[in-house]
Amino acid sequence: MNTFLQLVLNGLGKGAVYALLALGFVIIFKATEVVNFAHGSLVLIGGYLVYATKDALGWPGAAVLGIVSAAVAALLIERLLVRNARGADVNSLALLTIGVDVIVTEEVVRRLGNDIPFIGDPYDAAPIQFAGLTVFRTQLVALIVGAVLITAFFLVFRFSNWGVAMRAQAENKEAAALMGIRSSRVTATAWLLAGALAGVAVLFMATQDFSGAGLGRGTHAIALIAFPAAILGGLDSTAGAVVGGLVVGLTEALSAQYVSFEFSKSAVFLVMLVILVFRPSGLFGTRELSRV
Amino acid sequence: MSERVVTERSSVLVRLRTSWPSVAGVAVLLLVLLVFPVFAGVAYLKAGQYVLIGVVGAVGLTLLVGQAGQLSLAHPFFLLVGAVSYAVLAGDSGDSGDLVGLGLPPLLAVIGAVAICALVGLAFSPVSGRLRGIYLGVASLSLVFLGLYLGQSLDMLSGGTSTGRPPPTFDLFGFRFANSDPAPTILGVAIQKQQRLWYLFLVLAIVAYLLARGAVRSRVGRAWRAVRDNEAAATAMGVNVARAKAQAFTVSSAFAGLAGVMTALWLDLVKPDENEFIGTYSITVAISYLAMVLIGGLGSIPGAVAGAVLVNGLPQVLTLGATEFGWSIGTLSPVLISAFVYGAAIVLVVLFEPGGLAAIGRRLTTRQGDR
Amino acid sequence: MMIKNWGRAAVVGVSALLLVACGSTADSGSSGSSGGTGGVKTDFGVTDSTITLGVMGDRTGVFKNLGEALIGGNELWVADVNAAGGICGRQLALEIVDHGYKADTAKTLYPQLEPKILGIVQLLGSPVLAALKQNLIDDNVSAAPASWSSEILNNPNIMMIGTTYDVEIIDGLSYLQQQGLIKQGDKIGHIYIDGEYGGNGLRGSKFYAEKHGMTVVESKITSTDNDLANIVTGLKGEGVTAIVLTTTPGQTASAMANNAALGLNVPVLGNNPTFDPALLSSPAAGALDKLYVAASSAPFSSKTPKAVEVATEYKAKYPNSPKNAGAQAGYVEGLVWQAVLEKACQNGDLSRAGVQTALKSLTSVGTDDLVAPLDYSSPGAPPTRGVYIAKVDQNAEGGLTEVAPLFTAPDASEYKAPHQQP
Repeated sequence: MNTFLQLVLNGLGKGAVYALLALGFVIIFKATEVVNFAHGSLVLIGGYLVYATKDALGWPGAAVLGIVSAAVAALLIERLLVRNARGADVNSLALLTIGVDVIVTEEVVRRLGNDIPFIGDPYDAAPIQFAGLTVFRTQLVALIVGAVLITAFFLVFRFSNWGVAMRAQAENKEAAALMGIRSSRVTATAWLLAGALAGVAVLFMATQDFSGAGLGRGTHAIALIAFPAAILGGLDSTAGAVVGGLVVGLTEALSAQYVSFEFSKSAVFLVMLVILVFRPSGLFGTRELSRV
Repeated sequence: MSERVVTERSSVLVRLRTSWPSVAGVAVLLLVLLVFPVFAGVAYLKAGQYVLIGVVGAVGLTLLVGQAGQLSLAHPFFLLVGAVSYAVLAGDSGDSGDLVGLGLPPLLAVIGAVAICALVGLAFSPVSGRLRGIYLGVASLSLVFLGLYLGQSLDMLSGGTSTGRPPPTFDLFGFRFANSDPAPTILGVAIQKQQRLWYLFLVLAIVAYLLARGAVRSRVGRAWRAVRDNEAAATAMGVNVARAKAQAFTVSSAFAGLAGVMTALWLDLVKPDENEFIGTYSITVAISYLAMVLIGGLGSIPGAVAGAVLVNGLPQVLTLGATEFGWSIGTLSPVLISAFVYGAAIVLVVLFEPGGLAAIGRRLTTRQGDR
Repeated sequence: MMIKNWGRAAVVGVSALLLVACGSTADSGSSGSSGGTGGVKTDFGVTDSTITLGVMGDRTGVFKNLGEALIGGNELWVADVNAAGGICGRQLALEIVDHGYKADTAKTLYPQLEPKILGIVQLLGSPVLAALKQNLIDDNVSAAPASWSSEILNNPNIMMIGTTYDVEIIDGLSYLQQQGLIKQGDKIGHIYIDGEYGGNGLRGSKFYAEKHGMTVVESKITSTDNDLANIVTGLKGEGVTAIVLTTTPGQTASAMANNAALGLNVPVLGNNPTFDPALLSSPAAGALDKLYVAASSAPFSSKTPKAVEVATEYKAKYPNSPKNAGAQAGYVEGLVWQAVLEKACQNGDLSRAGVQTALKSLTSVGTDDLVAPLDYSSPGAPPTRGVYIAKVDQNAEGGLTEVAPLFTAPDASEYKAPHQQP
């Protein structure tokens, strides 16, 4: 029983971070219908700046700088590249972000050289034990931060002008434009926000508790695992991203124990595949209608 | 992907086919490819073979992604299935007797491996038929993960990740694609294993090219493009959408299977990867194949060839050049430089030339013509 | 109009291709010459003044830390030999290529390297080794692998340096039992990377468990799985009394951190590649004290005089390179080659076949105790079965202190390796 509870705890903790990443995919997708394959490299950019500046600025300063840089990097991708490929459809834009991702990832990994830095200084590797269970402090902090950010996001999304504008744009771009919604500003904010979320997520990812490894190619790979989270929840559903993140975290933890560890990564993708066969737009995604 | 139509220029092509300068051009190209082993050393021959593997795989993928509009990242999975199938069909039970091997003639095994891949592709069509765009892309990625898992678990088939298993030597009616003594010579150069493999791969690549071109120009190809551009309209025109989609996935998987067999022969080894990111059948390979067809111009067969030359050939040639001529750019490794080049090529193609290298090539020839 | 120019373009393209291709004429099929100074027979890679050996290492891939140190060790050895007058009246030269741990890159680099070299001092990476297995046999190139799996000993061209992973684990478990840390009938966990490395280690723990009535709880992972929390949670549930690792250093850190965090706190046994001194500056540093390492080569901080000498030279020559046991391992690879080349020189045959003959005739290669004496006379068997046992020590340079010098367990001597001839 303890094993089961411990696994659920492990799964929820990781799921919170997957949810933050998945939310990043979803926000961009909702605003622009582009799937951002470069999300993993935003994570790396944020993490790299934390690593590079934490000796000089101290951890809190470096963390803020990391988050801001990931956000700015996302904005730059949108302004410099995605925006300028006007003729391209959304699928081609997704492929464009793959190109960006290849370049950024190789460059960050090259800069890291022989280092695989851990960047969760204030909370990493300081587990809390109670009643025979272990709570990893990183996961606990991630869960709290994740809950706060996601709630804040939902509130903003529902009540702020930007939220209304964005929902309108996601609903119908032309109509939103006619209503005087400035599409360009909504889009820019979406990318900025998604980048910031990636910058927050990496603070938990490159830790002993979460990934067992410092910043590197592996960190980038984790962002890929968040892909199924976004897809199975439904790419255009913010609630779906959160549910998807938790489902992925739990699937991973439980299948590792009850099927086999080497199966656990395939399990995540298989769960996604099964859901997609029955609901081609994910659990909470909007059904695509084909217009003639 | 709908705007990335590579317009069918069948009328132009027909004229091309009958015009002597182009026939001469093709003949010269073929001649060069035929005598390549005479003036290239084994290392460059190995790089050339690797490009030809890419050509077969990329031509298959461009049919699926470009012609039929189905985004797939599952290519490495089918490479793996093809490689393992060949080893199982033609192989023996290994030194310790714990491998499955049917000992069929190698030619039959190649055909069998391609057929198996086609069937596996067909089996995936309930999924590929239902999903679109990025959803399909990510869903197909799950096959790569599944391949990793199955390759590791079914070691009686794959040989396991420890040692893998050797692919049986290919032979054609008693002519073995291995070193022999004495060996036939062309212009004084001995035609040994690597030279023979080059010719084998060249023939396979040409066959793949012609088959793909045939498919594109036929009714099948028209159905694929109709479905890609508008499913509802295609249905209205009497195209069976589900069938056209399944067809495309099946055909593309068969091409990938052939590329898988070639990979096994090229490496002298069938061995599942140790992880999903780096390796012969990994996500990196999925991205490379996508890069080939995108850089070449989605849907264009000659474009896919050009993409394969760039993506598979560049890292190989840079690596060889780095040791032979001391090429280097700072501390950047050849693999890194190639990654930068093809990453940038993807971005540039989407930004400035959605038709890819194929469109650039066409534009160049047209402009010259106008002068 | 277009048609004509399409043809012209094709011709231009073709001539470009021809130009490119002509620039690259290099026929590796050429055969070497026989004869040379002093009647020594030679074929590839040996001239009257130089013996050229190859290195196929990793400077840019996943094993770049280890790879850099190994190449450093190789180069130190060459410098030492040349300073002492060379071998067989010839200076040594290395031809180093970097395959970045990619089998496809290695497959293309090999034919370029092969005609230039007598043999390979260091061949890193099990996927690379597997892909080149047939080439080595076809060309009769002897190679010292930076991989210590007994699975590869069916290749007669492999020159194993030190003992193999399976034997390391058997020795290590014997040591734990001697110390009373595990006992008859226990349940032990084994986390291993699926592949040549981990699979071979697992063979060792299975052998030992069977001999001592123990059960092994197996967990298979890939080389990129770094978070082992779920696995250690499961092992805790199973009630294991020890954990065996054949993993990467990063995975070792995760196993150790979770061993402590989840309150399992059992002794952990790793082998040579499981530990890297860089772990001491990771967040898991505080949880490493339960780790024992059984390794066929001496740790970086070993007190063995030759190991100290190599470490000192290495630090002086490569101040910025990673400090790990790769330095000594690379040096030892050289020492074994040295013994082989000297023997081949005595026999008057520095050809590739001569190298093979010389290798098989060596029954006790001494390496100043960097590894136990090596016996190459029985094909298929590891050349030695002795290991160093070390324990993590924050204060030792390189992070490990020896707790048992060169130790061979009776069980290890009895063990039959997979390709061992009866």
